[in-house]
Amino acid sequence: MRKIDKREADSYFRIRTILITIYLLIGFTASFVVVFFAEQLSEFSFNGMPFHYFMGAQGAILIFIILLFTNAIINDRIDKKFGLDQDEKE
Amino acid sequence: MDSQFLVSLLMILVTFGLYIGIAVYNMARQTSDFYVAGRNVPAVFNGMAIGADWMSAASFIGLAGTVMLLGYDGLAYIMGWTGGYLLLTFLLAPQLRKSGRYTVPEFIGDRYSSSTARLIAAVATIIISFTYSIGQLSGSGVVIGRLLEVHTAVGTIIGVVLIAFYSALGGMKGITWTQVAQYLVLIIAYLIPVIFMSLQLTNNPIPWMSYGQIVGELQQLDAQLGISEYVVPFTEATKWQFLALMFTLMAGTAGLPHVIVRFYTVSTMKAARWSGAWALLFIGLLYLSAPAYAAFSRFILMTQVAGSSIADLPAWTASWVNTGSLSVADTNADGILQWEEIVISNDIVVMATPEIANLGIFVIGLMAAGAMAAALSTAGGLMIAISAALSQDIYYRSINPEATESQRLLVGRASIIIATVAAGLVALNPPGAITQIVAWAFALASGTFFPALILGVWWKRANGPGVIAGMLIGLSVTLTYIFAAKYGGFTILGIIDTGAGVFGAAAAIIAIIVVSLATKAPSKEIQEEVMDLRYPEGMTYKDGEVWRTDPAEKKRPDH
Repeated sequence: MRKIDKREADSYFRIRTILITIYLLIGFTASFVVVFFAEQLSEFSFNGMPFHYFMGAQGAILIFIILLFTNAIINDRIDKKFGLDQDEKE
Repeated sequence: MDSQFLVSLLMILVTFGLYIGIAVYNMARQTSDFYVAGRNVPAVFNGMAIGADWMSAASFIGLAGTVMLLGYDGLAYIMGWTGGYLLLTFLLAPQLRKSGRYTVPEFIGDRYSSSTARLIAAVATIIISFTYSIGQLSGSGVVIGRLLEVHTAVGTIIGVVLIAFYSALGGMKGITWTQVAQYLVLIIAYLIPVIFMSLQLTNNPIPWMSYGQIVGELQQLDAQLGISEYVVPFTEATKWQFLALMFTLMAGTAGLPHVIVRFYTVSTMKAARWSGAWALLFIGLLYLSAPAYAAFSRFILMTQVAGSSIADLPAWTASWVNTGSLSVADTNADGILQWEEIVISNDIVVMATPEIANLGIFVIGLMAAGAMAAALSTAGGLMIAISAALSQDIYYRSINPEATESQRLLVGRASIIIATVAAGLVALNPPGAITQIVAWAFALASGTFFPALILGVWWKRANGPGVIAGMLIGLSVTLTYIFAAKYGGFTILGIIDTGAGVFGAAAAIIAIIVVSLATKAPSKEIQEEVMDLRYPEGMTYKDGEVWRTDPAEKKRPDH
């Protein structure tokens, strides 16, 4: 065990927090905000259905899945950058 | 005994044989194996196991029907049950993994250094998981009963025996690999009929791309009939109920003990993130298909069943009419069945689909096996959560701290059998509809564990008295609102019992913050441990400094 600069550790935490906040805001917009404006968004369609219905049935889920994989991939890169590569045995 | 019966029975027996075979093969020997599978399950497979744990009888059997009957308003379930994985994977899973605890009550007890908090959390785990498992057992009873042509109660008893057998035998490890198999069976069973229906109706084998066209045609059919259109929002309840239900299901997902415990089965924080991502992908496959089922089934009912002569209905209607889940009364006695005269229970939409679309006996048998996989896998995970709460958190930590590993294992196995039988007894005469019971379990989880875990991980000032007050107040507010809305007709902004979690969570969060600030701050040790959760596994926080740990030195708390 060796001591490292706390600023380095804190910058890791800060990057993670900022990213998570962005992901959650996108997820919140795709679900709660779209539902809130459902009536207005029903004016145009996507994939054959009104946009608000598309978002509820497909759009939101796809965005959630993309967010989780983006998070996993980007976080692996951040870990690598900070030299925190976890052994690949899992 | 017709050929359909034999085929269904064969499909169920073959898949059950597979699950039990896997459980026996992985027979657990040590406590750590029994509860968390030795923490070496790869992320992809852990994702599948989470998926099988997650997708219960309510998702498999009930969801498509709910969307079909509620139209847009039913989509709150789809967004809520998938969106919860964002909260879980971003805000809780990696941190709980780093904490190195085995169960949710154990984390709460240690984090808040309060055995009272641990006891409340253990009791809440048992209440939530027990409520949830009643729904699963009665769902499996319906499927077994219908397919084996025995009474529902007999079907429930068969389900109880199976769950008790393999949960107690294999523990989590048996269940993890069993659940991978169950996920594969249930997703194949779910996708095959919807793909065939898509081909039949649109000549396009990809239902996710083709059902938009059907939704458009449904709008026109609704307009001709002058009924409220399928896609129009908030026809069944208010916008606030939609939002509250969606919040309740999301927060409940992030607070369900049997789902969270899955994230202890991975070896690292990295694996926790990947497990969450894979899990949502595998779950999303079913949830993306449910609205397609809903649209196709509604279209077939409106175009092929409605409008036909009452004396000349398709053969499949008769058997479902006999179960009481479908009613095709010719109320205006004109000899023609109108759309308005069809009353269909949302629980039969998925199960009846292979018959509606004439897909043959093998697909029907596969559906039965898939529905059983969904019900049994979730019930199995719930039983493990109950058994861990009873044997680890109540028996070992509060009653008999001297207990040996074999004693704890014995208590764990005994509690699985007792809990399964008790839930089975209640399921013989269930207190409400399956989806209703499941929604209550989510509301309770969002009123208790969600606030306690989020604040426990992200706010170091939260303390024992705060969390005790928070969980008790959250539990009472949620229960009170469920009863007041359901039986007293009391609602706020049109939010009914299924949206109760939003009030429970708000009350609990306020209570934890207010009481924590009014009482003494947690010890320096506890605050350091919470700070430590901020950093990845290679870093350790101590005395205001951060230390770098080599993977070789990595050490987990022993139990």
